[in-house]
Amino acid sequence: MLINSNYKVMTLKQFRIVKLVFTVFLAMIFGRSIVLNSYLMPIIALVASALILFYLRSRVKEVVADERDYLTGGRAALLAMQIYSWAAVIGMLILYANRALNPAYEPVAMTLAYSTCLLMLLYAVIFRYYNQVKLADKKFFYAAFVLVLFIALAVFSLRFFSGEDNWICQNGRWVKHGQPDFPAPTAECK
Amino acid sequence: MENRIKELRTKLNITQEELANRAGVRRETIVFLEQGKYNPSLKLAHEVALALKTTIDKLFIF
Repeated sequence: MLINSNYKVMTLKQFRIVKLVFTVFLAMIFGRSIVLNSYLMPIIALVASALILFYLRSRVKEVVADERDYLTGGRAALLAMQIYSWAAVIGMLILYANRALNPAYEPVAMTLAYSTCLLMLLYAVIFRYYNQVKLADKKFFYAAFVLVLFIALAVFSLRFFSGEDNWICQNGRWVKHGQPDFPAPTAECK
Repeated sequence: MENRIKELRTKLNITQEELANRAGVRRETIVFLEQGKYNPSLKLAHEVALALKTTIDKLFIF
C-alpha cells in the first residue's frame, strides 16, 4: 500500500520507498543500456522518473527537507564538487600523459577535463544566480530547468556517443566511419 | 548555542514530533536544536518560540 486512503496524499516514508525503487530500476536500465549500447532508453527513463518523482513529491504533505537539510546539502555538494574536480584533473593528467599507450585514453582525459570545466562553470552560474536572484519556491523553474537539461543531455548523447561519426581502427589503419569532423587519431592503430 | 527548548517543550508536554510539525521542520532538526548542535535561522527561531509560547530572547541563551 504505497498510497494513502486519500489518494492525493503520500507520506514521506512512502515517497522514500518509491524513490528507492525508482533508483534501483534506473540503475538496472542504465546497466542494460550499456550492454546493449543504447543511449536513448536511459535518457527517456531518467526524464520520466524525474517528472514522476517531482509529481509524487508534491503529494507529500510532510516536511521533506528543512533549512538544516539545505545547509548540509549545500556543504556536501561543495565538498563533492571539489573532490570530483581534483580526482578528475589528476585522472585527466595521468591519462593524457599516457595517451601513447592507448588511443582510448585521450577522449577519456578530454571528457574528464571538459566535465570539470562544465561543473565549475555551472556552479559559478548557479552561485551567482542564488546570490542575486531569490530562486526559492519557484517550482516551475526547477521543473523546466530539469527538462531542458535532460533534453540537452539527450541531444548531446545522441550526437557524440552514437558512434556514427568516428574513426575506427581496422586492420592496422584508421578508417572513417560516417563523417567525423576531426582528423584521424595520431596514435598507432593496432 | 544554548537554549531552553527541551525544558519548555517538556513543560508544555509536547513531543519533538509535535514541535517539529508546529515549527515546520523535521524531527531531527528539533533534536539537533535541543542538543545545541545547530544554530537556527531567525525565521526558525521565531517559529520555535511561537510553538513554545515564548519569545526568542527567552528561548535562546546568548
